[in-house]
Amino acid sequence: MSAVRQGLLLLQWQLRRGSTSMPLLVVVQIAMAVATVIGYGLLVGDPTPDVALYLATGAPTITLITVGLVMTPQMLGQAKIEGSHDWMRTLPVPRWTFLASDLLMWTLIALPGMVLGIVAGVMRFDVQLSIAPWLVGAALLVSLTSASVGYAMASVLPPMLAMLLTQVLVFVVLLFAPVSYPASRMPEWLQTAHEFLPIEPMAQVVRAGLANDAFTVPGRSVVVLGVWCVASVGAALVALRRRA
Amino acid sequence: MQPNVVLSIRGLSKRYRGRRGVQANDGIDLDVLAGQVVGLLGHNGAGKTTLVNQVVGLVRPDAGSIWLDGIDAVADPDAARRLASIQAQANVPITGLTPRTAIQLVGRIRGGSRREVAARTQELIETLDIASWADVPSQKISGGIARLTAFCMTAVVPGRLFVLHEPTNDVDPVRRRLLWDAIRTLADDGSGVLLVTHNVREAERVVDHLVILDQGQVIAADTPAGLAASTRGVLTVELDLGLRAGTDVGWPPSVTETTRERLRAAGTVPAASAADVVRWAQSRVDAGVVERYALTAAAREDGYGRLVGSDRAAVATGTELGVVA
Repeated sequence: MSAVRQGLLLLQWQLRRGSTSMPLLVVVQIAMAVATVIGYGLLVGDPTPDVALYLATGAPTITLITVGLVMTPQMLGQAKIEGSHDWMRTLPVPRWTFLASDLLMWTLIALPGMVLGIVAGVMRFDVQLSIAPWLVGAALLVSLTSASVGYAMASVLPPMLAMLLTQVLVFVVLLFAPVSYPASRMPEWLQTAHEFLPIEPMAQVVRAGLANDAFTVPGRSVVVLGVWCVASVGAALVALRRRA
Repeated sequence: MQPNVVLSIRGLSKRYRGRRGVQANDGIDLDVLAGQVVGLLGHNGAGKTTLVNQVVGLVRPDAGSIWLDGIDAVADPDAARRLASIQAQANVPITGLTPRTAIQLVGRIRGGSRREVAARTQELIETLDIASWADVPSQKISGGIARLTAFCMTAVVPGRLFVLHEPTNDVDPVRRRLLWDAIRTLADDGSGVLLVTHNVREAERVVDHLVILDQGQVIAADTPAGLAASTRGVLTVELDLGLRAGTDVGWPPSVTETTRERLRAAGTVPAASAADVVRWAQSRVDAGVVERYALTAAAREDGYGRLVGSDRAAVATGTELGVVA
């Protein structure tokens, strides 16, 4: 049997099993996406057009990252605690197929919130977007990378620790990452740290994809993002294959 | 290796590291032949789950070998998983699915064709008499039906080895019997079945071979009849205590206490001492300490209890060693 078919069946299993909670999950993250836009609007008051564009194009990234870094590890942690993760790992499915179907699910689940986040941003801040043709690809890359980082985190760490860490990460992403404001406002050491972390490159590719006239993506950011994507998928795969 | 050996484990050892390192498996030998149901018994923490997890590549052994239908399961866990179907220890949540869709989806993930899987699912549902629950959303089914569904998810595609973890937990007595028959059928159709359970009395009806684990070691391995031989000549004495509960039973020296509850007590006694014990018990009735007593042939649990009883020192030095394989 082809591994692709097996992967799609697994995806079906996960989606149908979650069919009672998934809709709520999507609604919550759409609400979060809109709330982020409105909340930042309250923080900054009446922003200048530049700042408004920055906020409106940062909010979708926040949504993508929180789904990947928060919801993915929480769901995986729960599956580990209730034992269903280990049982799934006894199924005759190659590990990479298993990982691919899980990552596909989390990558796709993040997208509705992102779209609604964009719409909310445009309406709230009244900005003009110039969408690049590669935006969809960029959004998928960002979503995949954050889902893999979250997956790897929950695979490697004990479930409780992974879930706690997600709370810290939300805080960092919302306030201490150059997503909704330029990196130049941060202390120098934090700027340096973000040169090697995936968050800033994620914000940059989404921003440039949404407002192609106003922003560009440095080549270095694409490389950093690519390295994180490959490394985290690899780490998740190693964790899945690992035997206690 | 004999051609009909499905699972062959030799010298399997696993130690979990950490502050309180545990030697979970300690030199285990175990075989499951095609057509055989092998019961794996033991207390919580005896090493049963660790053993199973090594077969399907969730845990890596420190030493020893696992051959599954001619494949080295330690070197190639992916291949081992294609040959073994595992029923999870806890119920896997299937919220959002009906038992039928869950069984069919897992069957197709296990590689069955849509039509074969649908037919086999229907067959299992009828065999276990769960048709009236088969198409009900799983949020509304009972724990017992969920357990039976988990069994079907394991048995839906023919395999070389089935590993069943406490398959009868929460299952009602009528369907329990149907389930035991279904388990027997799996083996009769040519697969090997490794049955992990505490429920020795019921399992005895279908198993060909019993392996008893204690502290990571096989302390007994034999046919049920062979293990029963160790309890031959042993009787069980049961007492219903009077309302002055908690009083000291004061067993005569020939009785080994096996259970003690508030209003009940039981023990085993060699047949030769039976007459003395009856006399003693009658005197306790006369004294008003005991309400009622009974002397019966020893149940398997007693033999099993004696083998892995809390008094491990006695096991190590006692006559039970006669049945150690």
